[in-house]
Amino acid sequence: MTLSLVTGLLIILQAFLVARILNGVLFQKLPVAAFPVEIAALLGAIAARFLTVWATERFGFAAAGKVMRALRAELLDRVEKIGPVGLAETRTGEMVAALADGVRAVEPYYSRYIPASVLAVVLPLAIIVVVFPLDWLSGLVFLVTAPLIPVFMILIGKGAEALNQKQWRRLARMSGHLLDAVQGLATLKAFNAAGRMARQVASVADAYRRDTMAVLRVAFLSSLVLEFFATVSIALVAVFIGFRLLWGEMAFFEGLFILLLAPEFYAPLRAMGTAYHARMEAIGAAERMVAPDDLPALAETGGSTPLPHPERIEIRFEDVHLTFPDGRRALDGVSFTVAPGETVALVGPSGAGKSSLLHLLLGFVKPTSGRVLVNGVPLAELDLAQWRSRIGYVPQRPRLFAGTLASNIAPGEAAPDGERLRQAVAQAGLADVVAAVPGGLDGTLGEGGTGLSGGEAHRLAVARAFYRDAPMIVLDEPTAHLDHESEAQVEAALARLLPGRSGLIAAHRLASISSARRIVVLNHGRIAEEGAATALLAKGGLFARLASGDTELWEAAQ
Amino acid sequence: MSDLKRLLSLMRPQAGWMALAVLLSALATLSHIALMATSGWFITAMALAGAAGVSMNYFTPAAYIRGFAISRTAGRYVERLVGHEATLKFVARLRPWFFIRLTPLAPAALEDQRSGDLLARLKGDIDRLEFAFLRILSPLLAGVLVLIVGIWVVARYDAAIAGVLLVAALIAGFGLPALLQRLAAPAAQQVTARTAELNAQLVDHLEGRAELDIYDPQRRHRAALDATSDALITDEKRLAGIAGFGGAGVGLAAQLSLLAVILIGAPQVLAGTLPGADLPMLALLSLALFEAVAPFPLAFQTLPGTLASARRIFSLVDRPAPVAEPATPRHVPAAGALAFSHTGLTYPGAGSAAVTDVSLSLEPGRRIGLIGASGSGKSSLVALALRFRAPSAGTVSFAGTDLDAYGADAWRQRLAVLSQHDHLFSATLRDNLRIAAPEATDAQLAAVLERAGLTAFVAAQPAGLDTFVGAHGAKISGGEARRLGLARTLLKDAPILILDEPTEGLDGETERRVMDGVMGALAADQALLLITHRRARLEAMDEVLLMEEGRITARGAPAEMLRHMERAPGGAG
Repeated sequence: MTLSLVTGLLIILQAFLVARILNGVLFQKLPVAAFPVEIAALLGAIAARFLTVWATERFGFAAAGKVMRALRAELLDRVEKIGPVGLAETRTGEMVAALADGVRAVEPYYSRYIPASVLAVVLPLAIIVVVFPLDWLSGLVFLVTAPLIPVFMILIGKGAEALNQKQWRRLARMSGHLLDAVQGLATLKAFNAAGRMARQVASVADAYRRDTMAVLRVAFLSSLVLEFFATVSIALVAVFIGFRLLWGEMAFFEGLFILLLAPEFYAPLRAMGTAYHARMEAIGAAERMVAPDDLPALAETGGSTPLPHPERIEIRFEDVHLTFPDGRRALDGVSFTVAPGETVALVGPSGAGKSSLLHLLLGFVKPTSGRVLVNGVPLAELDLAQWRSRIGYVPQRPRLFAGTLASNIAPGEAAPDGERLRQAVAQAGLADVVAAVPGGLDGTLGEGGTGLSGGEAHRLAVARAFYRDAPMIVLDEPTAHLDHESEAQVEAALARLLPGRSGLIAAHRLASISSARRIVVLNHGRIAEEGAATALLAKGGLFARLASGDTELWEAAQ
Repeated sequence: MSDLKRLLSLMRPQAGWMALAVLLSALATLSHIALMATSGWFITAMALAGAAGVSMNYFTPAAYIRGFAISRTAGRYVERLVGHEATLKFVARLRPWFFIRLTPLAPAALEDQRSGDLLARLKGDIDRLEFAFLRILSPLLAGVLVLIVGIWVVARYDAAIAGVLLVAALIAGFGLPALLQRLAAPAAQQVTARTAELNAQLVDHLEGRAELDIYDPQRRHRAALDATSDALITDEKRLAGIAGFGGAGVGLAAQLSLLAVILIGAPQVLAGTLPGADLPMLALLSLALFEAVAPFPLAFQTLPGTLASARRIFSLVDRPAPVAEPATPRHVPAAGALAFSHTGLTYPGAGSAAVTDVSLSLEPGRRIGLIGASGSGKSSLVALALRFRAPSAGTVSFAGTDLDAYGADAWRQRLAVLSQHDHLFSATLRDNLRIAAPEATDAQLAAVLERAGLTAFVAAQPAGLDTFVGAHGAKISGGEARRLGLARTLLKDAPILILDEPTEGLDGETERRVMDGVMGALAADQALLLITHRRARLEAMDEVLLMEEGRITARGAPAEMLRHMERAPGGAG
């Protein structure tokens, strides 16, 4: 604001000095050497104006940087609240685009549009204040046309902006269409449909062109009006001044001074029209960022109650219901207990709710109704960070991070303990893997753990649980995607891990429930039966049917 | 440079429109300059005439002023329309061009790129190319044109002033951007590196959410992510500062030129060699002239990124096609046996073969089951059959003729394939099905949906067949997506049916129903290759083949093979 005002004053000062010098040369027949002060001042004003314009840009970006920082932090917080289960529904690429490029696209709005709009208010006002006492007629031209410009821009812009935003969305959709087609190229070729799709890509782009041009013909009218008023006003001012100079009703100095100010009067208004593009881009970006905002915050937020007796864990599910926001019903009144040191296996057809129960326990989702209690404290009241630090978790597809093996076995630790690392590696049966990685524990893995096979990644995930020496172990179908040799190795590691700890396992195959004392059989989100494996087999219920109908021949090791 | 040339040659069909847009843009800017110059001359001449008490012809200059005002306003409007028309025409040409160029490469030649990576970049790259004209070419060309005309006009009045303007314009328009680019290079490199780092950390933040929630309670990863983001914004701030210097620099050059014009012109006016009214005219002209240079710094700043995008796009479409097309394709017979004969396939850069010495013949009406662990080479056989890849040993033939003698597209008419990476398009159920048969009637669609066990699902959707499946079928479940893909495959009328894990993600009950639907409606002479790692309906096959590590290690009647499997260690779970 202040900077804009200073810039405005410098512009007026420059025009004043130029008019003075030219007036002196042309009408007083003085050499330029007669104006040392004016010339020095003009040089100073030019330099100062350069600095203020530059500073405006820099401060503009500084303001934008603050917004970007806050926005990114807010979106990252949101991602954490959505939680792993909610995120599984999204595509990482789009979310990364929103968090990286989307946030960046907001910048021009703050660094260009806002400073431009400030200058568009300040500078014309300052010029009017200066011009009116000198020449009321030119002042009147400015005064009448200046408000007309925003008024017309608003009148035309209102309709155009609505159309414009629609076009932006269409542009995004058109990009999406092309990408979708490229991603599906193999499928299109298999169905002899690539040629048809190429024609469709062309016709979508052509339809977009026709519609967009119809919009632009209107949208550009706003800048046409702006340019028209600006240009015609300059012409009017010039002609009015010219005639009064001819009739001797005005001094040349004043006339030139006002003429020099005329384009500066309209320049910021026109700049704002150009910065309008920045505004549209920011709006488009904001719409992309709505994506994370639209996702429901599924994750449990917890409370502040510390976990009592953190060395022994008892879990109680009390009449837990879970319905996802899209209406999918995952759990429908489940109650059971895991005693300290006990391992319970969850069994059931896919979609029965096994994973959902684990996710509830881990705080990845909140129950719709009912409670999950850890050592008697509901999760909603528990200090979640503390609770989670007591868990060893092996998911279906463990995620490895770019970094060293050591930092992957102890992801949350700044300086992992070497001796504990070696023990965890030995216990998890990971020694051969560590030996094979150049640099051993300090050797690096690529993004997503490239270089490790599925089975090795699982054993690394088991090593995480060992390193933590966690009293609660949560396993989500730990061998579902492994070949038989890897499965045997992971099973062996798990058999060393589970004794003496509380465990909850979602079991994919019956082999992996051997270490479980008790089995909870789920079906359609309810407990169908529970008990020891032998008793359930003898009973001949769902468990017995599942056991006999185990149709897997090989596992998909993806 | 050759990337720029190639980009320009892509724009050639729109060259007429683009040239017109550049001319109009130059015309509009020149009108503005002329308006300012004439106004300056006009008021001075009027003042001089008024002071001398002589009359003057004010009609002509006043008319010029009005004329320039109109030509500038109208010129700017028409220029914008023409420029956008040219750009959008280019878009409508570039997109299908790009798609058609990618078609022969997919999928084999595009597989080395991580798909998210490739596509995320593609989107930005294509966008940048599309705006290359409006953001770079048009302002630069129009600006140069304006400078040439403007300085030529000035030179007719005074050579020294023209010389000063030329130097100032060259410095502001070309020298300054080049200097700033050099100054910005280290920061720009750091921004590139930090952006990659931020993206990698964001991917971990999203895909590693579960692990981070559990194993990183102190949120150290988040702190690292925030630090990278802050450092990136600081670097971007530095770049913005340098760019802002460029913008302010053009203004500086314009103001200094104005002063120089006065200093050079004033003595001449006093000496009587330059008419008095010409001095304000030249002063205002030189000031306005720099409007043409104002967009240069930004255009030059945008140029390297656009060229990098062009390079990526061109190097992608220039990849050699993984499978050669015959010069004179043979006619593909309506029926015949698809035969693999001692076929081998080694992926480029792979140490070991994915498929080794596979021989099998799929005659009309024959049903073959192919079982084996994931990674044993089953899906590679599908890629060979689709001619997405050429065998590196042995042959694949149809009706006794090697597939390489047929046009690939004509050959694929004989195949209906459900691949493992079946893609659902972000469109309606109907449009997705019609990929297989654009003319299919709703009755035909209903028939295949019934076979795939989807009738109840479609009936439950309020929009029926017009239900939108979302990107990658995200709005329907995995099992529904798989069955929709199966229905689409069944819709294609072809003598050979290849199903790669058609029942993946389905529970046993649904699996049985779906497989009954598939088998029940097979034509007697339709051949079936069923690839699976489940037992379902293997007993209905004529023969079952076991694939291990790229080789067929056992084959026989279904019952015999299932017994074989159960004896094998680590067989049925």
